[in-house]
Amino acid sequence: MKKFATPAALLIAALAYFVPALSGGAPVVYAACTAIAILAVMSYGADLILSYLGEVSLGHTIFWAAGGYAASLLAVNAGWNGWQTAGAAIVVAVVLAGVLGLATLRTREFVFSLVTYAAAVVAMEVTFNWSFLGGSDGVVGVPPLELTIFGKGINGAGDAALWPVAWGLLMLTLLFIQRFRHSRLGTSALMVQMNPDLAQALGVDARAVRFLVFVASAPISALAGWLYAYQRAYVGPDMFESYFLVLMLTAIVIVGRRLLLGPLIGTSLIIVQQTFFSIGGDGDKIVLGAVLAGILLLWPRGLIGLWDALAVSRRSSRPRPSEPTRS
Amino acid sequence: MNLVQQLINGLVLGSGYALIAIGWTLLLGAARLVNFAHGQLYMLGAFAAWAAMDRLGVSYFLAVPIAVFVLGVLGVLLQLMMLRPVMQQNLTSLMIVTLGFGYVFQGGAARIFGGNPQTFVSPLQSANIRFGEIWFTWQDVVTLVGTLLLFAVLWLVLNRTRTGALVRSVAEDPKLAQLFGINASLVYVGVFVFECAAVALGAGLVAPRSPILASMGFDEVILTFVVVVLGGIGSVGGSLLAGFGLGMFTALFGALVSPAYTTAAAFLLLLAVLLMRPRGLAAR
Repeated sequence: MKKFATPAALLIAALAYFVPALSGGAPVVYAACTAIAILAVMSYGADLILSYLGEVSLGHTIFWAAGGYAASLLAVNAGWNGWQTAGAAIVVAVVLAGVLGLATLRTREFVFSLVTYAAAVVAMEVTFNWSFLGGSDGVVGVPPLELTIFGKGINGAGDAALWPVAWGLLMLTLLFIQRFRHSRLGTSALMVQMNPDLAQALGVDARAVRFLVFVASAPISALAGWLYAYQRAYVGPDMFESYFLVLMLTAIVIVGRRLLLGPLIGTSLIIVQQTFFSIGGDGDKIVLGAVLAGILLLWPRGLIGLWDALAVSRRSSRPRPSEPTRS
Repeated sequence: MNLVQQLINGLVLGSGYALIAIGWTLLLGAARLVNFAHGQLYMLGAFAAWAAMDRLGVSYFLAVPIAVFVLGVLGVLLQLMMLRPVMQQNLTSLMIVTLGFGYVFQGGAARIFGGNPQTFVSPLQSANIRFGEIWFTWQDVVTLVGTLLLFAVLWLVLNRTRTGALVRSVAEDPKLAQLFGINASLVYVGVFVFECAAVALGAGLVAPRSPILASMGFDEVILTFVVVVLGGIGSVGGSLLAGFGLGMFTALFGALVSPAYTTAAAFLLLLAVLLMRPRGLAAR
């Protein structure tokens, strides 16, 4: 059963490619699906930190915005194509994550969260005031995404044209996360989170692991920001808004941490609510915040925990997966 | 630039920072709880006082105690909801939970009070005191004196009374404290209520300086992060010093270098300090 879980999850995600076409191909469906893919990829960046290091990074909006700004500035000012801007987004994110990762190397728990949050505030203030980055107006007029191999590929702007790219980016991200989970780094990260003493005894350098995971997580959120810039044809300091931060965290915890499809399903639930069942911008904030707080207070392991609880109450013999407790 | 004036500005700013941070400092020290809804609680405190004046027609001097009371009640409700993870000291979850609460408050306040800026008027704000070139308001005087008094009272309660000993023992080791018959959950509720009430008082005294907005939460109290961490986790005296230090830094940096980058500079200062002392200046 368990052996097929991962291929099945990847297959479901792959089949999601046909969702917009099968549901009639309405522009609003393409827009929602593209947004879900982009924001899910953004969340997977933070997921690497929250699920595998057990820390709360409040600084991933920096990488998200860095990807968007790198793409916009280079596409607008230098005429770079999609591959080049994507490469630049990755480089910028890795450099920024390297600096922030070194600065937070010795911090843990809430100090780590506070410092990453502080870094995001600094980044927003700099972005808002620095004319090189467009200041408070941001960068407008991002050209259509040009992403071709041997003359074939995509040269488009609308949601329908960007959907294959968004889906492809999502699949790449899922494959990366899947590889990470089984990599030496991924297993070391889990061990450092769950039993630091054991990790140390086995010769795992906790600081190196934390640093590498942090740096690895940044390009994921940055590539999401890269595509977001093309989708909106505009980037601005609003990419630092707490909306994205709260969305990332909610998407991760809503279904359950350390689940391959968790952030994707979480993002889908949130965006479907906001697109089709919206109760106004402020109302949606109340919903998002309440879901985030409510899930963690009622079923700390996410909806999967609720599922288990129901299964147990039905006298199922399914054993409860154990949750690492943090002291 | 008049240096004396900037020093007075720094003192005034600093007392505001310290006052807004005091509740969080105690919360962090006693319950190890990071409350990311702190900014939104400040916003709610300001709006509660504003609504009391605007809708009920009471005076400023009654509106602030009303806001303190309302936020105190809210504090009881919030802490009761969070009691399970607080007792388990599940700090990662709690941080995210408070972030969620903050987002709910922001959306809720925008729905109830509208999205437009409001002016929360204190009669003391327009009462100036002048000595030649130098001036300040009675509001500044009240904020400074109020901050010093509140810190003095908190210090005395924590260090010289039985209640303070209870709080300190729970902060030191909640499980051991419970073995000795101390009701830790009651202490946590009390500490959280203090945080909410203190931030409401801070909002009542500091918020009249500028228009109030439902979305101001984090922006307005962002510097309390710096105060809380720089002062040393949970150190009452440390956060008072950090508050005044940061006030001076902000006033002088804003006047000498650039007002637009003041917050960024304060955070770079914080990062620099944390690189050398990861647990704050006054860490044990």
